[in-house]
Amino acid sequence: MIRRPVKEINAEFSAEEKYLDSIQRTVREACVAANMSRKEISAVLLATEEAATNIIRHAYLYEKGVLRLRIVIYRKFVVFSFIDFGRSFQPNSTGKIDLEKLVESGRKGGLGFYMMQKIMDSVEYISSASRNELRMIKRLGETKADTRPLIRRMWSLRMKFSIWTFFIVSVIIGGAFYYIDRQTSDQILDRLDNTVQSLVKTVADQAAGYFIRSRSDVEFDELVVSYVRANPELDLLVLTDTLGIVRAHSDDARNIRKPFVLPPGLDTTEAGPGPIRFEEDGRELNYLSWPILSGRRQFGEAHVVYSSEEVLRQRSEARWRTSLVTVLLLAVGVLGIYVLSNYFVRPIVRITQRVRRFASGDLESELPLGGAEEFFEISRALNEMMTRLSQDRKNIVAREKLAKEIEVASQIQQTLLPHELPDIFGLELDAFYRAASVVGGDLYDVFEIDPGRYCLVVADVSGKGVPASLVMSMLRTVIQIHAARAESARNILIRVDSYLKKNMPGGMFITVMLAVYDSAERSLSLVSAGHNPMLYFAAEDHEVRPINPSGMPLGMPVTLEGGFGDSLEERRMELHNGDLFFIFTDGITEAADREGRQFGMDRLAKFLRQWLVANGSEGVHTLSEALVAELDDFTGFAGPADDISFIIARAVVTGEADQTEGPATISSAPDDPEI
Amino acid sequence: MENISISLSESGPGQVSEVRVDGVIDTNTARELEEVFDTLMKRGRYRVVVDLAGVEYISSAGWGIFISNIRDVRANAGDIKLANMIPNVYEIYDLLEFDKVLKAYSSVDEARSDFSSLTGTEVKKKTRM
Repeated sequence: MIRRPVKEINAEFSAEEKYLDSIQRTVREACVAANMSRKEISAVLLATEEAATNIIRHAYLYEKGVLRLRIVIYRKFVVFSFIDFGRSFQPNSTGKIDLEKLVESGRKGGLGFYMMQKIMDSVEYISSASRNELRMIKRLGETKADTRPLIRRMWSLRMKFSIWTFFIVSVIIGGAFYYIDRQTSDQILDRLDNTVQSLVKTVADQAAGYFIRSRSDVEFDELVVSYVRANPELDLLVLTDTLGIVRAHSDDARNIRKPFVLPPGLDTTEAGPGPIRFEEDGRELNYLSWPILSGRRQFGEAHVVYSSEEVLRQRSEARWRTSLVTVLLLAVGVLGIYVLSNYFVRPIVRITQRVRRFASGDLESELPLGGAEEFFEISRALNEMMTRLSQDRKNIVAREKLAKEIEVASQIQQTLLPHELPDIFGLELDAFYRAASVVGGDLYDVFEIDPGRYCLVVADVSGKGVPASLVMSMLRTVIQIHAARAESARNILIRVDSYLKKNMPGGMFITVMLAVYDSAERSLSLVSAGHNPMLYFAAEDHEVRPINPSGMPLGMPVTLEGGFGDSLEERRMELHNGDLFFIFTDGITEAADREGRQFGMDRLAKFLRQWLVANGSEGVHTLSEALVAELDDFTGFAGPADDISFIIARAVVTGEADQTEGPATISSAPDDPEI
Repeated sequence: MENISISLSESGPGQVSEVRVDGVIDTNTARELEEVFDTLMKRGRYRVVVDLAGVEYISSAGWGIFISNIRDVRANAGDIKLANMIPNVYEIYDLLEFDKVLKAYSSVDEARSDFSSLTGTEVKKKTRM
């Protein structure tokens, strides 16, 4: 398979330096055809230039000579052969040439060979008595570089798919992350507020007890300090009495007995029931107050300032962890998508490879059907296409072969028709033949039976094309052979019929109009084997009459009434100067115009009569030309639907003596007969 | 047919001569360049910088001129330095491994300065003798 050449180039040049360009152009074209990269091409050109120059300069010493270039491209390598018929050159060494040694030698010789060896994968010099061949092989490794920019090259289906999927998945995951993050941070703050609130309630409850029992400042102080210590989120815990005087201060005991001052930055004017958020020294703080109650009696208020920073810090740590996991998952996901897309795209790659193989001439192997439904369908469609194409190609080859054979058959058939019509004393002759297809089933023939007696035949084999033409080919010979032994026109056809019945496939038949002309008697004996009537023009009254002796076609099965011979009527006619008879096949009368109207017997008879009356002095060859032109006019050059053939024969004045008494209008010399 | 134009700025012995080539050095045009090199060698100008900026293609005949002269040039403490090869030409230079015997430079100045730094003083001594 690999050994089969993809392309072969053969060229011959005159070994002259002025043809170097042409040689190089041929090489370049081959390299391009072999899909070599630009770099490889310029390297190969260097090697081939060296090869060609060597032949011109050293093999022929600038003398006249022939340089034969043969480039064979295989799928995996290219073989360049430079062939000359001059002096053979002795490569200094058969092995590899070393560049350093070359430089040491200080000569240019050998550099060329060195370059060829470097550029080509194999260099061989084969020299025989009369012929030298430099054979260089270049392996086709790297195919032509993809010149598209990197981005375009990467922009494969896979890439697109991956990027889009990555984008969509990122948006979904990011959105989900954002939503969940918001939810959790709100929850965390709510939980803190609730914890602090319940804490404050507990403090307030306890403080109410302290107020009732009038505990000492120290005890109050211990209460707030212990709570702040136990709960690190608490920044400040202050208890005030109903007048707003501080009873306990977790931060600074010196504030006791002084009016409670709210932290700066805290604005309680618009305070709702929940905690108030405020900022102090860049810290985010919350303030909450709770009344100290015992039953209905209020003793004061508990104020708490707490920071949400710690929980927020914890939350942000958690968020980082979540983000990291999310990104990691995303990366794994994208990788998975890419791998998966590769998997899905693989059938496309497989199909591409197969189609490429098909393009390079492998018409046989089929795509394996399989994979996803879509690819199954594509594969099947491609298989169908490729099968069809290769079938078509085979058909075309076969058809071309057949066409060629038919053409040959047509040529053979042409040789079977008479090349020249015989000169018949007293008759002016012309004949015409045109086949509907390349080969035809019509036959005309004019030949001498014995001195002074001639046989004129027009026949039509049923059907047309190759089968008819084969029978027709046989018929001419059969008639000629049997005519020689027969005593009458009728007898000829009887003999021919009996021969054909034995030697012709059933279902075929032949109609024949056969006339025997006796030049001594100037008479015509006419028989018709089921043929269409002939037309007879009488010089006497200028009328055209059909003449139709009865008879069955040749090759018909014998009927009850009797044999073929019984059906056959022979008619004898005396000919007078200027009488004309026209024997033809029904291809003429049945020739149809575009609307399907037939040319018809009447039109034909009328045409003949008019022409003869008007142009009686012209040769019959002119008549046949006029008739064919008329026919073509009528059919509109649609070409005959059936084979057309006819013979025209006119009785003419013969001899010196007759010329004076005969009509002066009629030419005595027959026109050059022509097919 | 392709054309070639060669301009030679020659300087004294021991100095660097510069050959500027434009066009295509192929089988037909290589002879001109060869003549230039012959002249240089005859006059003892062994320090040659060839400016190949305008050369689109060098055939085997062209490379042959450099390769065949390099031995004599080196024997006389000179060198042939190739400057400004266009990528297409450089590819071939690289492929044929001519870098083993001929040095390539990205500019004429670079090639010139390589002369002065390496063998300058040594050559001067020799010429004085």
